Amino acid sequence: MNKFKSSKLVILLLSWGAIIQPAYAEDRLVQIRVDGLACSYCAYGIEKKLMKLKGVKHVDIDLPNGLVLVTGSDDLKLDPEKLRQLFEDAGFTFRAIVQDDGLKAQ
Amino acid sequence: MRGCSKLDSHPELQMPCRKFGAATLATSLAALFLSNAAFAHDPVFSPGPHVLFKDGIEVHAEYTRNKARGLSDNEASVAIKYGLTGNWVVGVELPYEWERGSLERESGIGAVSLSTKYRFWRSDRKGIQESAAIFAQLKLDTGGYADTGTNDLMLGLTYGYESLKWYRWASVRYLFNDDATPDKRGDRLFVDLAAGWRPKVNDYRAPDTVWMVELNGEMTQSSTVAGLALADSGGDQWFVSPGVMWTLRNFAVKAGIQIPIISKLNGDQAKARYRGLVELEWHF
Repeated sequence: MNKFKSSKLVILLLSWGAIIQPAYAEDRLVQIRVDGLACSYCAYGIEKKLMKLKGVKHVDIDLPNGLVLVTGSDDLKLDPEKLRQLFEDAGFTFRAIVQDDGLKAQ
Repeated sequence: MRGCSKLDSHPELQMPCRKFGAATLATSLAALFLSNAAFAHDPVFSPGPHVLFKDGIEVHAEYTRNKARGLSDNEASVAIKYGLTGNWVVGVELPYEWERGSLERESGIGAVSLSTKYRFWRSDRKGIQESAAIFAQLKLDTGGYADTGTNDLMLGLTYGYESLKWYRWASVRYLFNDDATPDKRGDRLFVDLAAGWRPKVNDYRAPDTVWMVELNGEMTQSSTVAGLALADSGGDQWFVSPGVMWTLRNFAVKAGIQIPIISKLNGDQAKARYRGLVELEWHF
């Protein structure tokens, strides 16, 4: 009886994993090098502007390394020229997209 | 009215002098508050080059207390600012002031001020932002408590260096008091130097603390009545001002205290004992 219950639990967990996996699998992680990032309060405008873009799910900022980390879905499109203007409007300087290789976000 | 001593030989001028003396006191206090044009991630008592992101809105609430001999005055103000571009911000400020003397207490809504700041130069490097801005603040003749009935303009220039560990700022401001000569309140020049230190760089979503110390200089010209200088007006004051800035994402709290180190005020004027300031800011 206990063995049967355990098997059901395993099947349930595997099914749950199969359901939620595609949601993560579709996420992309893009790293953008930005200059002028010296305080998190000042950088809030970057997050606000990026979150308005289609496909962006989450934005984080790595101040010491000058990186803006964008997590988004597959339909996320980040054009360097548009990013240059976006960061200028936020008060910072866009340098480059340093990583957009379809890494799965954790 | 010691300030009118030079006019004692002109009895016809004594009444205007008396009125002007009271106005000078009240407006010098108003000018004191007008002088505080700090924005967002700038020093507590002096302006820096920081502006808002394009289409950003900042709500700013501030409480200031000025304690001098036999007098304390307080001001609470609310300001709203808007980012026209990533380098240009405009704002409007409405103060509420109350002061307490030895015998009486007075209060009321003050005059509306408009402000603008344009960051004309910016040099960005990894983890560093260095910039300079010009700014203007105009106190309008909207009436209200302790209002001068004039449109007083302040113009300024500011520079700032911001890194993950250290900050430094410098600014100079000039307040043009819009009085008809020969009765005129003295114009004011403000010179500020500030340094900041961040003990620890935290994650983007974690609280951030920057400790600051400022040197604030205020040089005030003597006021004049009928073209004659009032003895008890004008002079220089210098302050050392420790402060702190604490932020969490898009919310900021700043606080500081100005301690006078040099007070060379002309004649018999109440010297400042201290000035305290607390600011709350939220941008979105």
